[in-house]
Amino acid sequence: MIFNSEISGQYEHTTSPVVTGGSVIALVYNGGVLVGTDTLCSYGSMAAFKNVQKIAQISQNTIYVSSGEFSDFQQVVKELAKIDRSALQYDDGVHPSPKDYGNYLARLSYKKRCKINPLYLQNVIAGFHNNDRYLALVDIYGTYLESKFITTGFASYFCKAIISNYWNENCSLDQAKQVIRECFKVLFCRDCRAHDVIQLAYVDAQGTHIEEPERVETKWDFNGFKQRANEKLHTQ
Amino acid sequence: MLKHLYDTDCVTWSPQGKLFQVEYAMEAVKQGSICLGLKSNENVVLCSLKRQPSELAGYQEKQFKIDDHMAIAIAGLTADARVLCKYMRTECLEYKYTYESHHPVGRLVFKVAEKSQHKTQSGAKRPYGVGLLVAGIDPNGVHLFETCPSGNYYEYKCQAIGSRSQAARTYFESWFHLFEKSTLEQLILHGLSALKKAIMEDEELNEKNVEVGILGKNQKFIHLNAQELKEYIQKLETFNANTQIQQE
Repeated sequence: MIFNSEISGQYEHTTSPVVTGGSVIALVYNGGVLVGTDTLCSYGSMAAFKNVQKIAQISQNTIYVSSGEFSDFQQVVKELAKIDRSALQYDDGVHPSPKDYGNYLARLSYKKRCKINPLYLQNVIAGFHNNDRYLALVDIYGTYLESKFITTGFASYFCKAIISNYWNENCSLDQAKQVIRECFKVLFCRDCRAHDVIQLAYVDAQGTHIEEPERVETKWDFNGFKQRANEKLHTQ
Repeated sequence: MLKHLYDTDCVTWSPQGKLFQVEYAMEAVKQGSICLGLKSNENVVLCSLKRQPSELAGYQEKQFKIDDHMAIAIAGLTADARVLCKYMRTECLEYKYTYESHHPVGRLVFKVAEKSQHKTQSGAKRPYGVGLLVAGIDPNGVHLFETCPSGNYYEYKCQAIGSRSQAARTYFESWFHLFEKSTLEQLILHGLSALKKAIMEDEELNEKNVEVGILGKNQKFIHLNAQELKEYIQKLETFNANTQIQQE
């Protein structure tokens, strides 16, 4: 296959994503940081790949997740792994902290944005270092924001109310998990590109733990669906 | 030995397996005025003797801040030292820009050593004629390194380089077992005592020709000012190295 860009000799820039991942929700809790995504990669409006692990462990105490172009996610995972590998060359036992990864990614994203060829991603880095929880968002422009909770994509619209009402930064791990599950329930109902299978992962003093995917509870047997109001009206 | 047959450039070995140009470069370090460093579990102290080219001139500074958490003391060719200082500062700034954290100390010393080694393996270059004592603090702890024109580097508990540094090293050999637990003040007094051993009979330590820099886990690199130097030099009179306390 010969692409037009090869004939003209010009580079093309990423103007729109092709295979995309959905919302990401991340919360700190008492003793660590919890992250949740669904397991779907969409091909436009088609739910093409339904069992994808979108959570990457990049070091012993750091997790990386993102929403947006999935091939960019895979590339960033490789770039971040490079940093830790170069530490092996120096052989001095110093490894990057979660914050080092976050800032590196911010610099990388900003550089690509300046060349009008961005990494089409909203990135979330979560980690636990020196008894401190770390959670940061790096967006498509390279903006770097540390925060106690982060939502990307549609979750920013639908889930902040749920998080405000049911979560605080010192809740337990189970409470935080329940909040995220509830959020993805709502997302599955309202976000057309969302999926009902989600995956949770958390980092704490013991390291990173990525759980098996789980299906969120959904309810479809509402009376309103079973006995459609319109039908009743028309048969009267 | 007919040294002059093998000492023209860096790319010639002597039959005894020596690179004479590199060895001559190490001599330049030994000609510089003394500087020393010592560390405890919490702090690193650098002490140096500043030279005054003539009575009309100022004193040549020997310690340079590389970053908040790192500093160097130099012995040898000052011009070469400035090149390395600039390189180290640039590396620290770039690291901070990319990662928002401090450049690990050992890694920067390794980079300097690599740069120095490169100069010893080329026909058209000469080695750097300066030795550095690099003091730094990073997540791995408190560090004191020495770099050589040869491209070697070593980590030390305490070390002295430059002219008459052997006298200071002898002092260290007797007392270094105490340094780990010393307070900052005791460390400074030990450093100045070692410095005193290395000066000539007709010289004396005063706040003009002594430079002391301190670094700590909660202390960014600073130089002691003239007033503080005066006080410490005075305390030297009654400092007992063994008990590390002032004696009357």
